[in-house]
Amino acid sequence: MRFFHLPPQIFRLVILIFAIVVSYLVARTLLTPDSFRDTGFYRGAALAEHTEAHQPVFAGKKACGERHPKVIATLTKGGHKTLSCEGCHGVVSQEHLKDPDSKMIKPTEKVCLRCHEASPSRPAWFKQIIVKDHYSEKCIECHLPHEPNEVQ
Amino acid sequence: MLATFGGVFAGLLALPAARALKKKFRKSPAPNGYDARQHKWLMCIDVDKCIGCGLCADACKSENHVPEAPHFFRTWIERYIIKKPAPDSTAVRGEVEVDSPNGGRGGFPPTLVPRDEILKSFFVPKLCNLCEASPCTQVCPVGATFDTPDGAVLVDPTYCIGCGFCIQACPYGCRFLSPVTKTAEKCTLCYHRITRGLRPACVDICPTQARVFGDLKNPLENDPLQAFVQKNKVNTLKPHLGTNPRVLYANLDKEVR
Amino acid sequence: MSMQLTQILAEVAPHFDGYVYPNEAGTHPLWGVLIVLYPYITGLVAGAFIMASLVRVFRVKALEPVYRLSLLTALAFLLCATLPLLCHLGHPERSYQIMITPHLTSPMAIFGFVYAWYLMAVLLLELWFDFREDFVKWGQTEPGLRGFIYRTLTVGVTDVSDKAIALDHKLSWIISIIGIPSAFLLHGYVGFIFGSIKANPWWGNAIMPIIFILSAMVSGIALCIFIYMVLTWLRRRALDVRCLDVMGMFLFYALVIDATVEALDLIHRAYSAQEGFYVMEYMAQERLFYTLTIGQMLMGTLFPLLVLGALQVARKFIAGTVRTTLYFTCSVCILLGVLAMRWNVVMGGQFFSKSLRGVMSYKLEFAGAEGWLLGLILLSLPFIILTVLIKLFLSESLPTSGHIPHRIDNP
Repeated sequence: MRFFHLPPQIFRLVILIFAIVVSYLVARTLLTPDSFRDTGFYRGAALAEHTEAHQPVFAGKKACGERHPKVIATLTKGGHKTLSCEGCHGVVSQEHLKDPDSKMIKPTEKVCLRCHEASPSRPAWFKQIIVKDHYSEKCIECHLPHEPNEVQ
Repeated sequence: MLATFGGVFAGLLALPAARALKKKFRKSPAPNGYDARQHKWLMCIDVDKCIGCGLCADACKSENHVPEAPHFFRTWIERYIIKKPAPDSTAVRGEVEVDSPNGGRGGFPPTLVPRDEILKSFFVPKLCNLCEASPCTQVCPVGATFDTPDGAVLVDPTYCIGCGFCIQACPYGCRFLSPVTKTAEKCTLCYHRITRGLRPACVDICPTQARVFGDLKNPLENDPLQAFVQKNKVNTLKPHLGTNPRVLYANLDKEVR
Repeated sequence: MSMQLTQILAEVAPHFDGYVYPNEAGTHPLWGVLIVLYPYITGLVAGAFIMASLVRVFRVKALEPVYRLSLLTALAFLLCATLPLLCHLGHPERSYQIMITPHLTSPMAIFGFVYAWYLMAVLLLELWFDFREDFVKWGQTEPGLRGFIYRTLTVGVTDVSDKAIALDHKLSWIISIIGIPSAFLLHGYVGFIFGSIKANPWWGNAIMPIIFILSAMVSGIALCIFIYMVLTWLRRRALDVRCLDVMGMFLFYALVIDATVEALDLIHRAYSAQEGFYVMEYMAQERLFYTLTIGQMLMGTLFPLLVLGALQVARKFIAGTVRTTLYFTCSVCILLGVLAMRWNVVMGGQFFSKSLRGVMSYKLEFAGAEGWLLGLILLSLPFIILTVLIKLFLSESLPTSGHIPHRIDNP
């Protein structure tokens, strides 16, 4: 059989190039992950993996509300209605979920002051106090945290 | 000889053909029946509502197990202190001091700037800006970071090679290289929460609702996000770069970068 | 976390002035010495290849003594080019992904293909076509392992007729022509990696790839001068002063163009003073003084420009031995100066915050994954490989082919 007559250098090189290109294409097909390009230029499975790999840590106000509807009802009436339970009481612990009688963190004055200590950077509409000029250093002497608008 | 070549070639072509066929009949697994194409999540920020308590930065660290050391943040708060101009200067505003001690975690220590020198001061929460034309996903060499169909920007930790190009390309400083996984990491919009019907941890914990979160494809009754965009004039960070950030800031001062 | 602890931490944080984004406030930069080395090495490859192509394509006869040496230098450095990148990756075992799923919007994604193309289709092919005739001859005359190596490298092609040799030359010429834009692509894309980052005003502009290519050419020519002189000195042979004069001339003109474009970049930045200029100016003065002002500008550009310029004008009045010493000094200064330039680009872009309000002070360690020691080792590797290549292919004990003399010593 007569081929178009190639000089020997070119002939060997063509074979080499062909072999390299074909090996690359095969490797590419075998090594590309299964779900790649499913929803875009990435492994489509990564979306589901992301959800499955991480469990939520914070329970969220709705979850607390399912067990403590009266507290949420009180909270909704006053100035603290936008607060989440876990902001002051800490993350709902596994302990608390298993044994509801085990208490959550009881907030101290530090928790109140974290937000309400006066600062020139805080917006003017926000209620702030300078502790040493205030009536007492113990917040709950006068204030009810779930009904902050009421003063005792 | 030609026949052998042809046979080998055809055999090799069969491989990708078989794969393509297999793809047609396989669906990508969705978490709990959640369909990413039915949602478009967005978070916006009202700067005037932020009180700098730092609860969001702390919540994010706990929720997402962000590495503690040296210090990495998926979200953080910045404090801007704009001083009054010097008495003999014709400037209308003075120097600007910005700080973010430990990203704002635990709240901010009192500033050393005397009160009577302060013209204006405020807090600005920062996070991934969820850019329409994200420069970070554009530069990833292997397709490890990507825009999800439902509005988040994620990193595939099993595919990222840790080159750091995306971290350099993000104009907002919201990415970092995790010393634990040696891959890029960033705010995921708490993807593992929003796909389960919860809200991101920082949104849940914010006491003043400075962070406004919603689903643009399924707005609620009295949706806070819809109210936000109807009520406010908004701005975005570094608009001149053309990244087209989707995170809108209400009441953003010109000094914020 | 209590307020007091936050306060202490805020005071203790030593790593920056002004304000930097929290994620930038670490102790080490993201891209370190290894990323400084990669553009340096590929720049040397591109520059050395352009030097060689001056012989093949532009037929500069005076440079023939260094033709093969330039090509082998390019090869030695190219073989080591991927190492700094692999050492730097968080997951080097996944590096193959860059060739399996290259994200075509990323300049970094073309690395695997450009590298493979340049290595195989340009450099190895050009070397093969040039050496092929010698491989056949040496395969027959040299004993033992060396003979075996030469015979393998012929790839079974033993035709050394005049027709075959003429074809070799023609193909080598074609590949050289293809090789010039390929060399620009090999190094230019690295400049584009930086130039494409609009988030960083130190990097993100259109002139960055051009500056990279020009300084690459300068460093490549300087490297060829350096290696030629060291090798000739080691072999106790006489230098081809005319060859050095021509190399020096090309080096001078390349340096003039490079210096002009780099100066244009600086002047434009200072003149237009866009946002971020002041923080970059502060950063350059505080963090880059030794590497930028002293290393890159004075030692790497101004001094060689003056010396090489004087040599162009007053060549006749300066003795040969003085000229060769000056060429050597200039080439060393330029090699160090271009390394300083890569440092200034890569590290300078990371020494200031994207908040445009702060400047970091990163530590650069000696030992460790991104330390100086590893950098020095990686930089010495190409020289070791080049020694082996010279022993195999440019050894004085080998008989040369009958056509254009490529030996580096003057008979």
